[in-house]
Amino acid sequence: MIFLLLVPLVAVFIAPLLSPRAASWLSSIAFSVPFFGVLYYLFAGFPPREIIFSAPAPVGEFYIFVDGISAIFSLSICAVSAMVALYALPYMEHRFREMGVNVEEEFRKYVFIYNLYAASMLWLVHCGNLIMLYVFLEIMLITAFLLIYMYGYGNRQWVGILYLIWCCIAGVLTLVGFLIIASENGTLSLDAIERVGIVAWAFIFAGMIIELPGLGPHVWLPWAHAEAPTPVSALLSPLTVGLAGYIMLRVALIDAVFFKVFTVPIFIYAAISSIYAGFSVFVQTDFKRLLAYSTVSQMGYILIALCLLGAGGEAAKFGAMGVSIQYMSHAFGKSILFCSAGGLIALFGMRDIEKMGGLHDVVPEISNAAVMGFMNLAGILTVGMFGEFFILRGVVEAFGMNLAYLLPVVFIFILSGWYGFYTMRKVFYGRPRSSVAASHMSAYLFVPLFVLGALSVLFFFPPFSSAWVPELFKAVGMGGSSVVSGGVSASAAVGGGLLP
Amino acid sequence: MTDGIWVIAGIVSLLILVSGAVLSYKDSRFGLISAIIAVIVAFIASSITGSFGYVVFVLAISLLNIFSLEAMQNDIKGIDYGLVGLIALATMFILNTDDLAYVLTALVIVSVPTYILVMLREGAVDVEIGVKYIVFMVFATVLFLIGAIIIASGAEGIMLTLGYVMLVVGLSLEVGVAPLHEWVPDVFAAADPIPVSVIASIAKIVPFVAAFRILASTPDVEIAAISLTAVIAAFSMFVGNIGALTAREHARVLAYSTVANMGYMLTCLVAVSVSVSHVSVSHAHKEVQMAALLGGVLLLFANAAGKIGFFNAIKGEGACSPLLYTLSFSFIGVPPLLGFWGKFFILISLVSAALAAQFHWLYWLAGILVLNSAVSIPYYIRLARELGSCWKANITNYIVAAATVITLITVFLYIPVAWFPADIGSIEIPISLPAAGG
Repeated sequence: MIFLLLVPLVAVFIAPLLSPRAASWLSSIAFSVPFFGVLYYLFAGFPPREIIFSAPAPVGEFYIFVDGISAIFSLSICAVSAMVALYALPYMEHRFREMGVNVEEEFRKYVFIYNLYAASMLWLVHCGNLIMLYVFLEIMLITAFLLIYMYGYGNRQWVGILYLIWCCIAGVLTLVGFLIIASENGTLSLDAIERVGIVAWAFIFAGMIIELPGLGPHVWLPWAHAEAPTPVSALLSPLTVGLAGYIMLRVALIDAVFFKVFTVPIFIYAAISSIYAGFSVFVQTDFKRLLAYSTVSQMGYILIALCLLGAGGEAAKFGAMGVSIQYMSHAFGKSILFCSAGGLIALFGMRDIEKMGGLHDVVPEISNAAVMGFMNLAGILTVGMFGEFFILRGVVEAFGMNLAYLLPVVFIFILSGWYGFYTMRKVFYGRPRSSVAASHMSAYLFVPLFVLGALSVLFFFPPFSSAWVPELFKAVGMGGSSVVSGGVSASAAVGGGLLP
Repeated sequence: MTDGIWVIAGIVSLLILVSGAVLSYKDSRFGLISAIIAVIVAFIASSITGSFGYVVFVLAISLLNIFSLEAMQNDIKGIDYGLVGLIALATMFILNTDDLAYVLTALVIVSVPTYILVMLREGAVDVEIGVKYIVFMVFATVLFLIGAIIIASGAEGIMLTLGYVMLVVGLSLEVGVAPLHEWVPDVFAAADPIPVSVIASIAKIVPFVAAFRILASTPDVEIAAISLTAVIAAFSMFVGNIGALTAREHARVLAYSTVANMGYMLTCLVAVSVSVSHVSVSHAHKEVQMAALLGGVLLLFANAAGKIGFFNAIKGEGACSPLLYTLSFSFIGVPPLLGFWGKFFILISLVSAALAAQFHWLYWLAGILVLNSAVSIPYYIRLARELGSCWKANITNYIVAAATVITLITVFLYIPVAWFPADIGSIEIPISLPAAGG
């Protein structure tokens, strides 16, 4: 397993020595290797955890592992990182020319930071120690900051600092939570922690709700995601923010006391976040900013799924599955959409959707890719459908057929589809509002998008879905968890009609 | 045996330093070479008798300090290397002895050379700065020594509190903790950046380690006195960071950054006093002390590497941009850089000590530390941006690069979480206080 994870790390240092084209391909291959490796494990069975070394208390063992949950996150990160690495070749060349800097020289710096950024996310989901996880979380935040600060749009330095300060506050709050866990348990090793107190949880939740983000602490997100260079937005929004959900999920699988105490308030907060951000999409005129608000709305799904872990039993299982699948579906969908928005910037320099319309006739490739992106967000015939199913099932398990809880969730699902089609109509269909002529478009700008779209459909159907759903079930029912004592087996899920 | 090896190594090193200083009147390179040899001899002796991890960091930092003197010409060229070498010897020695007299001697040995270094300028001597600095330092050292002696005399009650307060105030004045920090911005801004890089880096280590070891041997300190130290620590963090945010001159920003960092360091002393003075924390007595010492020395090393890097960048009118950003991130406390691990272990010590019912307020101190780390982001980024330039093959850039390597060494996570804690863990922190019966 460790060799699979080392491949992207090696690429971090080799890629800057190559030409932009070779570096892009190397980066893409470097993330494809762990993708296929984890896929292989999904079918052949996961290897045992690998201990890197043991540290004295309160740090504990450092190890890496892969289970059903980390596999889902890992596959999403590898696939998106590999494809965006290719997409970035024409995009960043265009951006560097726009900035008036030496393309080749700047691409070396860019590809180093990009690969480090993506590799840190990959390591984060496979490491088995909270302090190790925190280290990768911070590397991820700092590399993203550097990419915004150096290559972003608008007042990029201000936006970069805004992002850095918010994320550092999020990081340190989480760290304080981890430290309290360390003091209470004498270890930070995931499989040795026995309990997570309410105080530790409060810090972790406060930190991760900034990172996720929820309504209120979300102020940094539209700025950072909109002003980042598009390949960075295509990792930030689809991958990075959702990892806050991963961290909370991992801690909740040990001890979900916080969600147990605050199930209803968190549910209400998550629903309001999702609905508010969903409606905010309609008032945005900047395409990337619109997508950023959609991210806040989608993260509301994840928070709803997380609060189900407090309900215990089967609701908790379905919640945990909902978090994982929603992450994958959002990763595929949102990376496609940001890359679509970036394609329009690279080709026509357009961001204002008031000036768009009718672009399907000019760039059908991008338009069709965007349709696949919104299908993921809306959960239509893609892996996102599983996500919505498990979240809804979890809500039913937790609250029964109580319409006060069911209706908001269903409305949120509808809202995603609604703003998806609204955006498609506004940008790609209808009457053109500007005269733009079709021009030559690099295949790098759309082929990676179709690959991601195809993956999101493939993961919906067997044999992929019949491989990952049972493994995910196993993972949420595994190890010292206080929330997953119920008895839904993988075969029951498959046999019970969960799979197509 | 341990002291025997050290006495011999110490005498040999001193002889080498003195010989080099004398010969440097012929050629300043003798001073440079003798300083390097003396430091390496002391390093070998320290490695045998004490913590290898600690001395290897001190060796790296002292060599950087010595080489950075190459970037300036002054009236005592050659002797200046010896002065830094002397500071390095005392810094390595401080963890090798359990005798209070030696600990206090090390403190004086570190303090005195800085009186001369601070006056050095390119081709001149700045007596005005020197006088200002010396007055503060003499006062600080005397307070520290009297405080330590009162504590060592076995004082109890009000006298113990008096000794404790004098020690903490002396330390605060010596290293520049607010509100006793007034000399720091003035001296840092007016003196030459290279000697300041010595004063702001390696010279900060011994006062803290000395205070730490004395307080780790001092039970029964009043909670009110410890609380006062915590308030001073928090105040210093805020004053330092707000000062740095509002300062324009680079050297002043770094001066206030030192004030903030010394506030972080003072929290280690709070944690250690809580752990030895109050039975309720005895369950975590050893862990709290070890985490506080680990965090303290790692933060001092990070501070030293960062200050050396930035002051050299000021001296060289800029340095390679990515290197300065790395140093900035280390100061901010971004993992896996060295600065993060310092804060991490300090937080561990505070949180562990805070588990005791009457010390829950230490959570707030931990929170203030965290908050101040976040507040420091803009000015460190600004420093890196304003001082950053392209790579140039000169001595200041090489020094900045070497300082960056020190902060990056903890990328190998085994070093900060396994090797270094195990190495420091082998040290007996408390020292023999005569009145306590050894």
